[in-house]
Amino acid sequence: MEVIIIPIIASLVVIAMGKRIPMWLSALFSLLPILLVGKYFQQMGVEGGWKTIFDQPWISDNIRFTVGFDGLTGILLILTNALVPVIILGGIRNDENRVKITALTLFMQGALNGVFMAQDGLMFYIFWELALIPIYFITLTMSGVDAFKITLRFFLYTFIGSLAMLASLIYLFLHTANYSFAFESLRAVELSHTESLFVGGGILLAFLVKIPVLPFHSWQADTYTNTPAAGTMLLSGIMLKMGLYGLLRWFLPLAPESIEFYQPWVIGLSVAGVLYGALIAIRQKDMKRLVAFSSLSHVALIAAGIFTLTDAGLEGSVLQMFVHGINAVGLFLVIEIIERSTGTRILGELGGLAKNNRLFMVFFMLIALGTVAVPFTNGFPGELLLLKSVYTYNHNLALMAGLTIIFCAVYIFRMVQFSMFGEGTGTVAALKWNEILAFGILIVGVIGIGFMPQLIIDIVHNSIVQIGQWVSEARGVMS
Amino acid sequence: MIALFVTFFSAVILLFAGLNKKESAFSLFAVVSLFVSAALSFACANQMVSFGMLESWVPANMMSFGKEQHLFAALLAFITGFVILMFRENENLGTDQLGLMMFSLCGAYMMVSYEHLVMLFLGIEVLSIPLFVLAGANKQNLASNEASLKYFLMGAFSTGIFLLGTAFIYGGTGSLELEMMGIKPSFMHAMKGMPIPVLINAGIILMSVGLLFKVAAAPFHFWAPDVYEGSPNRTTVFMATIVKVAAFVAFYRLLNTFGGIKDSWASWLTVLGGMTILWGNLAALGQKSVKRTLAFSSIAHAGYLVMFLLIADGTNTWILWFYGFSYAIASVLVFSIANQAYQQTGDFSFDAFNGIAKKCPIVAVVLVIGVLSMAGIPISAGFNAKFYLFSFAWQHTPWLVGIGLLGSAISVGYYFKFFKHAFLKESNNEMQFVDRGLLISLALIIVALGAMPWAILNLVF
Repeated sequence: MEVIIIPIIASLVVIAMGKRIPMWLSALFSLLPILLVGKYFQQMGVEGGWKTIFDQPWISDNIRFTVGFDGLTGILLILTNALVPVIILGGIRNDENRVKITALTLFMQGALNGVFMAQDGLMFYIFWELALIPIYFITLTMSGVDAFKITLRFFLYTFIGSLAMLASLIYLFLHTANYSFAFESLRAVELSHTESLFVGGGILLAFLVKIPVLPFHSWQADTYTNTPAAGTMLLSGIMLKMGLYGLLRWFLPLAPESIEFYQPWVIGLSVAGVLYGALIAIRQKDMKRLVAFSSLSHVALIAAGIFTLTDAGLEGSVLQMFVHGINAVGLFLVIEIIERSTGTRILGELGGLAKNNRLFMVFFMLIALGTVAVPFTNGFPGELLLLKSVYTYNHNLALMAGLTIIFCAVYIFRMVQFSMFGEGTGTVAALKWNEILAFGILIVGVIGIGFMPQLIIDIVHNSIVQIGQWVSEARGVMS
Repeated sequence: MIALFVTFFSAVILLFAGLNKKESAFSLFAVVSLFVSAALSFACANQMVSFGMLESWVPANMMSFGKEQHLFAALLAFITGFVILMFRENENLGTDQLGLMMFSLCGAYMMVSYEHLVMLFLGIEVLSIPLFVLAGANKQNLASNEASLKYFLMGAFSTGIFLLGTAFIYGGTGSLELEMMGIKPSFMHAMKGMPIPVLINAGIILMSVGLLFKVAAAPFHFWAPDVYEGSPNRTTVFMATIVKVAAFVAFYRLLNTFGGIKDSWASWLTVLGGMTILWGNLAALGQKSVKRTLAFSSIAHAGYLVMFLLIADGTNTWILWFYGFSYAIASVLVFSIANQAYQQTGDFSFDAFNGIAKKCPIVAVVLVIGVLSMAGIPISAGFNAKFYLFSFAWQHTPWLVGIGLLGSAISVGYYFKFFKHAFLKESNNEMQFVDRGLLISLALIIVALGAMPWAILNLVF
């Protein structure tokens, strides 16, 4: 509850103070919620299911403001509330839009916390949409001729997906015993096969657009490339996780009867997306666009892992969600700093940046290694689990998806090489304290998870087992 | 009932006391009397007040104010108060305009509370006749004259058709009272094999056509864009909010009377509702003028409210109240900003909004809240209104809800044009917005209705 309210109040404070707000204060605001998350972990623990923290009638007596906590929620809360300070510290340029973007980012933090904690279907939907508003206005500050078109396409894609989800949720709601949107009541609804295809399809569409999985991805590259860095980091680091989280938390338990039907489609499209994203990334000159497509490729693998429904896939997906958030934000931060110093992010125009700023190169290199999934960095264990899960589903698909490891090394190291090494005129300015702090938080994530991935898997284990149980029960009934 | 008296006598006072005086001297009086009317009807919401008379020596109930009617009257008076407050410097004309608007509001009260079709007919006339004058108040402006004439002709036609329907109903049921006239057809329908008389069916259709003209639902909406565009801004807002809400309350009460034979009128009304939603939203996409865009958006909202007519059963009137309230508040908010931008730039295309975000960030935020509410995006009053409506309508007309959702998606295309011009475009014009306090308070009402709708609805109903 407080983690939703505090950032929203903080964003109002930022607006009220306007240009006078120092960056360290807004960063401090964004750090407050993570202390509360720690308190939740201490109080609630990660065992014993999805426990309710706060419950209050909201839209009607049975549509409530219900906030819950368990391991899965906890992990995503840590991710959100650790990355938003990084974004505020490093990702926001000191220009005319600074105050606006800071305020919107804080607002977004509150809305995202709401998404991850909502235990009521409509509350989930409301916060899901609410998170879209600030990011829309952040993307709207992009400089470029086609800004309106790009942002509108982004908004419409996600909004239409959301409406489909709303329709499905309302359908479930009308079939609950007591007209309630509570997660448990929605889950208890028994659907016929045809019904579940429609209901599941609606929910699935919202998540697939957000992730995005292959045919729904065309909003992504343009939006990522042109949005100010803070927006790109929010989108790739946290907002994509809304879709993946939604798959785990809402799609699998609510419409398990439809999984059988959608499974091959989603896994097939995801593996296609893995290859497609990776191949296109290799050809990119614009670093932001390159990372956008690499993100498409990585996230598709997570979606495929979830849909294999194996323990390795489900746990690996949560681990990889966390890791991808850190790495994507790290890469976009690196690009942002390069662009701030040299005024360009086109690979052909850069080079030799490593010469005068060794510290920056080390940070870049570590994050790059994490993205490529080198052992003992954070990318490795998750990717291994995901590929293993896809392998158990289908050998050939796993072989194809496995190519991504090679491709990923190609495009990431190509980016490192062309920007940091070789000959070039540009230089990267010495890192300021805030940028070092931002990188510090990320590097702790990169190395720490590389050595101790079990930490995260332990936290989410109970939630994942529960979800797996529901799914296998429903499928057992089916067959 | 008390609201009717207060408003009526204030209007009379305004008309005579304000003769040959400037409007600004009396607008405060008008606003205070409207807010008093709203507060009084809200305060005595739990009382039942009726007004009857003898009809051929039989006592007939003409109008009655129950809880519902009191609350709708309070809503109408409240919104009209805001309309007069926020558009006061619009045209520097005589006080008679205020008086006429308040007389029109009296008509709206009658449409809300009628128990007898004669009363409904009188209400429609009392509502419309001042509006014919108000629409043409910009005497020098050709468009305003055109609007007045168009509205008059359409009003005359629709009333004529409505009256014909009334006559048919009287022929078919033998009564003009709401309570009485629904009994016979429902009873006959309940008995198997008894067809509903053609007279009654034709009467319902004709009366509905009359009212569909008034609410500007497709395919009887053609007058709306021109009239809305040509009329002075204040009149446009009044037509888009008060007239629409009042006409829908009247419509709902009329159709609810014939709830027993719903299947005879639900089918074509569903089609018209879907048509209105799609037509309004699609036509709005291509508009260049803000006023026309908002006119088509109000047509689309009429489509959503037609959905309410199909689910109304007398117990869920709060949905109409909530929808009407959130729609009217957001309309007044957006129209007011558009009006001020228009007065400063002389331009009623979207270009008038250029650069608002840079020059007036507060107004830009308020605009965002208003527009998001109209588009039905959380956390705003508009979302909750649409949610209540859609979730109730689902079981009766799932296809119409699907069209409604589609319409919402389409509407984003034109509502977001406001953001394009306010946030992306630059302009060299100086901009000063007055009434910021009022704009912010309207925005706060929208957010409050969005953030805690149930608490507020429990307080009201």
